[in-house]
Amino acid sequence: MRTLSGVSKTPAIRAKDLLVGYGGEPVCAPVSFTLAPGRVIALVGANGSGKSTVLRAVLGLLDPAGGSVEVFGAAVDEREVGFRTAVASVLDDDAYFPALTVAEHLYLTARGHGVRDAQTVVDEVLKEFGLTEHGTSLPVALSSGQRRRLLLAAGFVRPRALLVLDEPEQRLDLRMRLRLAERLLAEKASGGAVLLATHDPALLRAVADRAVLVADDVSRLLSAEEAAVAIEQGPR
Amino acid sequence: MSEDAGLADEIGVSSADTVLVGPAATGSFPTGRSIRRYTAAATNLRSGASVGELLGDVYYVVITTAIGIGMALGIAGQLRASLPAGEQTTAGTSSLSLPGLVVVLVVGLAGVLLSLAGRLGPVGSAAAEATWWLGLPVDRRGLLRPSARRLPLLAAAVGAVVVGVLDGGLLGDHHGGQVVVSAMVAALGSAALVLAAGLAQTFDVRRGATSLVGDLVLAAAPVLAVVGVVLGWHPGGLPAVPIWSVAVLALVVAGLAVVVERRLDDIPSRSLRVSGSVASQAAGAVVSMDSRELGRALTDSAAAPRRRRSARFGLVRGPVSALVSADATVLLRSVRHLVQIVVAALMPVLVGVVPQLAGRLGFAITLVVAGSVAMTATGEGARRAEMAPVLDRLLPLAARDVRRLRMVVPGVVMLVWSLVAFGAVGSWAGDLTSWLMLGAVSTPVWAGAAVRAAYRPAPDWGGALVSTPMGALPAGVTLVLARGPDVVVLGLVPVLIAVALGHVPSAVVIAQLVVSAIAFAVCSSTSTKSMMERMTDASGTQAPGAAAAATGPKSRR
Repeated sequence: MRTLSGVSKTPAIRAKDLLVGYGGEPVCAPVSFTLAPGRVIALVGANGSGKSTVLRAVLGLLDPAGGSVEVFGAAVDEREVGFRTAVASVLDDDAYFPALTVAEHLYLTARGHGVRDAQTVVDEVLKEFGLTEHGTSLPVALSSGQRRRLLLAAGFVRPRALLVLDEPEQRLDLRMRLRLAERLLAEKASGGAVLLATHDPALLRAVADRAVLVADDVSRLLSAEEAAVAIEQGPR
Repeated sequence: MSEDAGLADEIGVSSADTVLVGPAATGSFPTGRSIRRYTAAATNLRSGASVGELLGDVYYVVITTAIGIGMALGIAGQLRASLPAGEQTTAGTSSLSLPGLVVVLVVGLAGVLLSLAGRLGPVGSAAAEATWWLGLPVDRRGLLRPSARRLPLLAAAVGAVVVGVLDGGLLGDHHGGQVVVSAMVAALGSAALVLAAGLAQTFDVRRGATSLVGDLVLAAAPVLAVVGVVLGWHPGGLPAVPIWSVAVLALVVAGLAVVVERRLDDIPSRSLRVSGSVASQAAGAVVSMDSRELGRALTDSAAAPRRRRSARFGLVRGPVSALVSADATVLLRSVRHLVQIVVAALMPVLVGVVPQLAGRLGFAITLVVAGSVAMTATGEGARRAEMAPVLDRLLPLAARDVRRLRMVVPGVVMLVWSLVAFGAVGSWAGDLTSWLMLGAVSTPVWAGAAVRAAYRPAPDWGGALVSTPMGALPAGVTLVLARGPDVVVLGLVPVLIAVALGHVPSAVVIAQLVVSAIAFAVCSSTSTKSMMERMTDASGTQAPGAAAAATGPKSRR
């Protein structure tokens, strides 16, 4: 962990009446939340409710249709080097360089972020995500779950202040989900902020401080327990 | 602490109290160029391609390009030799001269290049690059430089070849040096257009706006032709392009290239991601030789995502009307295909007003080409159903009935196209009624071919490959690609005979009626095998019996 000033005051994310959609047409009701460093907020909602779209707006991959979103006190602009330094994301991408090995993908990410002794860090992350044996494999040789682990590992192999995850539990077995939960708790404890979209009530209960229910009619701020129950009860 | 301060300067987002967790960083980042080179080095290391194979690929590309240009020049030269003399074109007549047509085509080419540049980015990052490169805090200029150069260079090559063929082959009124100058101007102009689109992308101008400008320029081409006909514009030849214009355009291109490169860091990720995705899909379609997929990549995928209002399908009364309504809805919702049909209908009309083209050869070629263009557009519903077979399985209809019903929409559309196209031929031949009748009875050929082509299987890239001057192609790819066009060529023999004769004998109409019925029957078949394969299978099935017959008497003995 590294603290630039030692005191974290500015919210990692401040979304106010954030409206997202395509072609000017919103996909969900406006969402408002504030994510402080050392906290985890989960976005929950039915399939297609707009969780991933909200995440894309937070990451600057989509212009908001209304409202505002700030990351560390500044308007979102992923073209800024500083933004890319502070924000790590793992979306539902499933794309890899076909000729780069698993370890080389992670090394590329670590070195690209100026990590000292990148090879050692890569080895540690490979071990943590159960990919040590596959370090020299090409992505095409991996199962879908292993590829998902590679993507998640890429989020942790670099320094970050904010971690944005889109359904990180996807395609993971139970053991890896538990390990992911432990990793996210450690992230909180270190002062990192996490925004994740999830359908997994267990993961949500384990790591989230609050949750935002993303829906067509109205988006609400819930406790982690309320959100987990909402997931278990299914869409209404 | 000094490292932290350095990093804080780069963060620039109230970073004084930003907490970084995870591995320690040095605070200095590598260059984008080094990241790109690292990726390229690993790719080259594992590509397994030897220098010999690389040179072989270069050889194939050079030979293929040379053959293509040579063929185009030859066809253009032959076309020029076989066309009626241009002296017939006089001011005051309702016609367009051949040089005038070339000007229209060049304007159209400019529109196509600009439109494609907008749809393809022109700068983009493929999926892997978007995922693994764009999140890095490195200069994107170093990452994107090759991508920014690719399309301008390609456009320059296309512009040079097209204008060179038109000037040196079709018109043939300039000497070699002048043709080279024209081609260079076209190359530089084409590159400048794409670079201008790239510059717009760096200012975050919506890609749709750039492609719309290109579409408008493209649409201006036929308008220019019509205005030329109405105003009696008859240029006798294209002006010689001065050599200094090459230098001026080269300066413009160099300036644009420098500005675009310096602004590459300003292109947002979302633009790079979408552009890269469209370009990858388009490249895949080209490699797979799937023209419809290419069209989808450049239109549906390039368009901004949006939600559509669900159709009510009020006319649906059962599976039959459901299928026909679905096909009609698919077509009506695709502006690209509607434009394609309208343009295809106007092509014979345009040929009719260019005296050098308005002849038997010109109309024969145009009817087949324009009809094929329109036909391809009408089969979109069937093609989508072929790609997602579950759509056909959802309806309680026999497969053969599905094929026949999918001919309804293409049939109706091609009937309208035939009335316009054959009307143009009839006006030229001075016998409107007979030609319209011939066009109407030929409609089933188009409808059948549209469905046959739509349900063609994909080439088997996993099977044996055949080395050709155009690179390695799957064995049997010709038979796959010929499904549909084969019916057009064979089914339109009576029409082509009538065009060759210059009038429509009754026997030709009757022959066309018979051929259309045969085409309808053939295209109703659900077999994906070629005629040759079916014959081989049939002989294979008979072989054991035949063998038994041959050996039986011996056994009995």
